[in-house]
Order: sequence, then C-alpha cells, then structure tokens
Amino acid sequence: MARRPTLLIVDDEENVARTLQLIFEREGYRVSTANSSAQAIQTLSNGHSFDIVITDLNMEREDIGLEVARFAKRLKPAPIVVICTGFANLNNTRQALTMHVDYLATKPVDLDDLRGALSRLLTRRRDLKEGKR
Amino acid sequence: MPGRPFKREPKALLVHPDLKVLNDLQNELVQKGYECILARDLPTALLAMTQHYFDMGLIATQITEQGDGWSLSGVFRMVFPKSFVAVLGADTGIRTLQTAINNGINDVYEATSTPQEIVNAVVTQMTSFQALFDTSKASRRVH
Repeated sequence: MARRPTLLIVDDEENVARTLQLIFEREGYRVSTANSSAQAIQTLSNGHSFDIVITDLNMEREDIGLEVARFAKRLKPAPIVVICTGFANLNNTRQALTMHVDYLATKPVDLDDLRGALSRLLTRRRDLKEGKR
Repeated sequence: MPGRPFKREPKALLVHPDLKVLNDLQNELVQKGYECILARDLPTALLAMTQHYFDMGLIATQITEQGDGWSLSGVFRMVFPKSFVAVLGADTGIRTLQTAINNGINDVYEATSTPQEIVNAVVTQMTSFQALFDTSKASRRVH
C-alpha cells in the first residue's frame, strides 16, 4: 500500500488550519498543524519529515511565513512549500519566487486549484526521486 | 588508469525573437562558461529541447505571439525539472510573479534589464536552485 503523503499546515487562525486539515485528511493526506511560525519551525527542526508544508504569511508578525518557507527549503530533502496568503504584495511575492517556493495561493483559496497543484507537485517530486526524469 | 568523470560546460537555451538580444545574452553567458543554443521561434526551441540537455532556459514572454513564451517555459520545466528557467520581458507585477511561482519558473526579468544584469542574476539564482537537488548532505529524518 502506498505511503500517505504527509502535510504540515501552518496558520495562526485555528479554524483555518483545522478546516484545511479536515479537507486534506479526507483527500488521504496525513496532516499535522502548527499555529505559529515558531511552532512550525520547532516541528520541522525536531526531525519530523513532511512531503508538503502549507504556510500562512502573516502570523506573529507580517510575512513571518516566509521564515517557515525559508527554513523548510533548507531541509534535505526539502518538502514542497506552499504559501497561502490574503496579503500578497510585490515584496513578499518576489521573496517567495527567489526562494523557489513551489506554489503561492491567495485567499480565499480555490481548493480545486490547490488540490490539483499539490497532486501535480507530488507526482513530479516522486518521479524525480525515482529517476523517471 | 582511472578515467576522469566527464564534466561538460553547462548549456543554456536562449529563446528570443530579437537576434541582437540573443547575441548579447550569449556573449555574457559564454564569458561565464556556458555553451548556448539560440532559438528565435517555437519550432526551433522545441527541436533544441529534444536534442540537448539544458541546465538553463532564458525565454522571452513573447516569441511569436503574446504569452507563448510562458507556455514554452512550462514545457521546459516539465522536460528539465532540475534546470533553471526564467522568462524575459515580462512586467513584474504580483500576478506575473505568482504565475511564475505556480508554473515552476525560477525568475522573471523585465525588458529594461540589461543582458549583464540578467546573466549575473541568473547565475546567482541558479546556485541556490541547484542546491535544492543536492541530496548528498541529506540529513537523517524520522517519519
């Protein structure tokens, strides 16, 4: 049986994190949540491995989600990193591009788009790992 | 005698309708040690992608028609998932940057950027991008 992909959802609004958790668990993901960037970075530092990290941008302070993204991107192997924000601007979007964030979704999130993107990114990642590409 | 591992020059695909822009970019990249393949239209670019392994693609947003460079960049990303790809000549508004991120494009350069600025930025960006695929220092992880 195939391993269920693991997903870390980072959002300071517990309702948002919980809702996304329910949605993605129904999709077959194994989901953990963090309610701050500090908690997320601690989770990622503690040896927990995730296939995907979805992070909000504005939590303890503005654009702090970029720190989560940057930290995740430095891991080996790096998870797929998705930023989910209602406050995209030229500066934070440019930073996301520069650090090679894999997907940027703007709130309100189109769940079909997000599901499709995650599935496509996971497939590409798996193909790369298996040397199909 | 043990043979040396084969190491080739990194190869770049440059796609732009303007030959002068292509030549200027090529000159800058050759100085940085790149071998360049130039294409001024889609069929030539696609043919080149079937015949070479590219480490980098620099693709104009408009080759023949408005926006066709975005599609070609998407194809480049699918064919060469570990290679760096950037689009040239786009506006750099939020929507454009978001489109770039969501299509796996690594950078976006405005038409006003000089070839030297573009190539310097690309070479810097490529280093951080390729580090993502370097698993030689992979740490042990707990599932």
